[in-house]
Amino acid sequence: MRIRVNGDVRRVDAPGETPTLWALRDGLGVLGPKYGCGIGACGACTSLLDGRAFRPCSTPVTEIGDREITTVEGLSRDGSHPVQRAWAELDVPQCGYCQAGQMMSAVALLRRVPAPTDADVDEALRDNVCRCGTHSRIRAAVHRAARLQREERDR
Amino acid sequence: MTARTNRRGFLATAGGAALVLVAVPGGLPTGVLPVGVAEAEALAGGATFEPNAFVRVERDGSVEVTVPKTELGQGVRTSLASLVAEELAVPLHVVRVRTADADPRYGNQATGGSSSVRTLFEPLRRAGATGRALLVRAAAQRWGVPDAECTAAGGGVRHPRRQPLPYGVLLADAAALDPAAVEVSLLPPERWRIIGRPQRRVDNADVLTGRARYGLDVTRPGGLVAVLARPPWLGAAPRSIDDTAALAVPHVVRVEALASGVAVLADDTASALRGRERLVVDWSGGEPAASSARWFEDLDAAVPPSPDGPAGTPFTASFRMPVLAHACMEPVNATAHVADDGTVRVWTATQSPEAVRRQAAELAGVDVSAVTVSVPLAGGGFGRRAETDVTEEAVRLSALVRRPVKVMWTRDDDMRHGSFRPASSHTLHAVLDERGVPVWRHHALATWPLTTAPVFGTPELVRAFGDRFGYDVPGAVDVRLIPSPLRTGFWRSVYAGQLVVAEEMFLTAVALHGGLDQVALRRDLLTGKPRLLTCLDAAAAEFGWGRRLPAGHAAGAACLDDYGSAVAVVAEVDCSGEQPRAVRVVVAVDVGVVVNPSGVRAQVDGAVSDAVSTAFGAQITVREGAVVQSSFRDYPWLRIDRAPVVDVVLVPSTADPGGVGELAYAPAAAAVAGAVHAATGRRPAGLPVVGAVG
Repeated sequence: MRIRVNGDVRRVDAPGETPTLWALRDGLGVLGPKYGCGIGACGACTSLLDGRAFRPCSTPVTEIGDREITTVEGLSRDGSHPVQRAWAELDVPQCGYCQAGQMMSAVALLRRVPAPTDADVDEALRDNVCRCGTHSRIRAAVHRAARLQREERDR
Repeated sequence: MTARTNRRGFLATAGGAALVLVAVPGGLPTGVLPVGVAEAEALAGGATFEPNAFVRVERDGSVEVTVPKTELGQGVRTSLASLVAEELAVPLHVVRVRTADADPRYGNQATGGSSSVRTLFEPLRRAGATGRALLVRAAAQRWGVPDAECTAAGGGVRHPRRQPLPYGVLLADAAALDPAAVEVSLLPPERWRIIGRPQRRVDNADVLTGRARYGLDVTRPGGLVAVLARPPWLGAAPRSIDDTAALAVPHVVRVEALASGVAVLADDTASALRGRERLVVDWSGGEPAASSARWFEDLDAAVPPSPDGPAGTPFTASFRMPVLAHACMEPVNATAHVADDGTVRVWTATQSPEAVRRQAAELAGVDVSAVTVSVPLAGGGFGRRAETDVTEEAVRLSALVRRPVKVMWTRDDDMRHGSFRPASSHTLHAVLDERGVPVWRHHALATWPLTTAPVFGTPELVRAFGDRFGYDVPGAVDVRLIPSPLRTGFWRSVYAGQLVVAEEMFLTAVALHGGLDQVALRRDLLTGKPRLLTCLDAAAAEFGWGRRLPAGHAAGAACLDDYGSAVAVVAEVDCSGEQPRAVRVVVAVDVGVVVNPSGVRAQVDGAVSDAVSTAFGAQITVREGAVVQSSFRDYPWLRIDRAPVVDVVLVPSTADPGGVGELAYAPAAAAVAGAVHAATGRRPAGLPVVGAVG
């Protein structure tokens, strides 16, 4: 089967029930989405499916169909996406393992809500576990990214 | 024209002429230095300059720093590289940071005990300063001037009347010098440009683009992935194994029984997991009736009796501290390749690279020199990766199949089969004077040894790592160890995470019992502890201690001096809703000289997150022989929607650097629990403060 990942069409050679996470990681070498639980309970693999946050670990690859997967690698290679810039500015990561998922949840939020409130951030990111305790920097970075994104659009 | 530096180095070429860029930090203009023919030849033909194991200057002038500790999220790749860069006089952003393989050249590579910056503050600065002194000598010789007239800055050597020489053109000369022939002096603090200023993580660019490589990202050509079916109850062993269905799964290649479980090896992770689902194991033996509720009864019964105290009003309270899992974001894993040529390679984000190397040599039957242990990034550590259980599995399996094998623990493996923070039961006694102030104390507790670190098998060791009572109240701690029913190991702050939490919850209980102010009581008892007192005052001031809080809110305080640092915490909770929540946690720390303020703040944030999580419900329980919890669904770690505001006060200090990674956990947990006590009027029975312990 073929799936669309970060702008490319890629061939996947795996049974249809294979979780998309393993098709990405083991099959395609797309290692940005992380394994944390395999049951959609931690958010470390969070990526986008046609712009909406989804959990590759608990989505069989056969369900992807024609939809476009965006992983953290698809935001930008040089770190120039507003969410990546905000995360860097605020020095968010500690171990960093959850941060791709956190950022992808933030990207999905900012697509829907360009100027989120704290409550919006809570709602969108509360299912992304950070074991290191970067929550307050994540919150600040989402707001900063919203601002950077607006500035980018206004230019 | 302009040129920009990047982490790979600072050589740019334009129109065939070599241009070397010297970035000068601290506001001076960044200069691009044209390099003459001789220098260009030196650049092309020069050797790299490696004055010691930690520093390498490349031909293009870029710098590689080798960090001898494991990055677990605590920021050591940034803080340790900063120490070298400072003394080598290069900006941090041009330094490429490498994590050392296990190698005796690097000294003690174990990462733990909040010790990395403390133990390496001087040696790594010296490593950088040695490189600087040699490069300065090389430039001075070329110019025919005394060393003292030269200064190093921005990756080059300068002289008032000469064109600066970038390091890249000095390598061969510097490498030819005898390091013993130069005087190495460390920069005075007033000349620091990196130390003490916030530095962003050197790994951010990789982490934020998905390029960072963690243990689970290691892939080897021809490698297999293994997952293990582990005992469904404590101590169970396979009576029989039917691997027919597992081996029928496409891409499953082997099934092998190890002491820790039955491994399914496959070409890829999904196939290995599918194979594990189809594996039929008949388990027997062990402790199918084990129960943590029962363990706590045993611990309660084992608490030593308290001696009689002096005359006065007795006050007593008991607390239980729960079993905890590390629940690293990245489950433990290791990749090993026991090759046919007699070499062994291991890739694992271990906190104990040297132990892994010795273990791999022993298991594979080769000399240690034939074993290479490489250390990728770790998705959290918290003490869990001090252990070598997963590397043992990987090496054993690779030795059987003679191919690279990556062993992955699934989340439920990680939650149920790890090495846990021991449980404990504490009874504290005090004798109070007429004002309600304790004049005598006794802390009796029963806990388990650390089974994965046998040296931690005596009450003396428990006291050495957990007895931190810093108040001026005479008394003693009496520890009784009973055999551990679980595998136990280091967990952020080790026994201090139990003893200090109990003692601080007790002190808050004393204050609330007597109607005393928690902060004032602590202040009065902190004689001869100026650093701690300063922290307590700073935390109380920042919090606004004494102001009126909203209905249902209350505050708690706690202190600790440990790891060569001091910390005080004031926490505010809101108990007006169904579940208590932490609103704000103020943490004042004196960690001596701060290397990276951003890193210190992050470590405090993390400790507070652990404190709130373990105060408000995260604990491991065992029923019918099995750990009940299996994921973040039932091990409720803090989420962003419940995260308190954390305010960190860095108390200025010129003391030698202290540790910070573990520092704030115990006082933050005690402060949160004490705040709940103050808000509800009910003394918590331990941690967690909600629900039952055990």
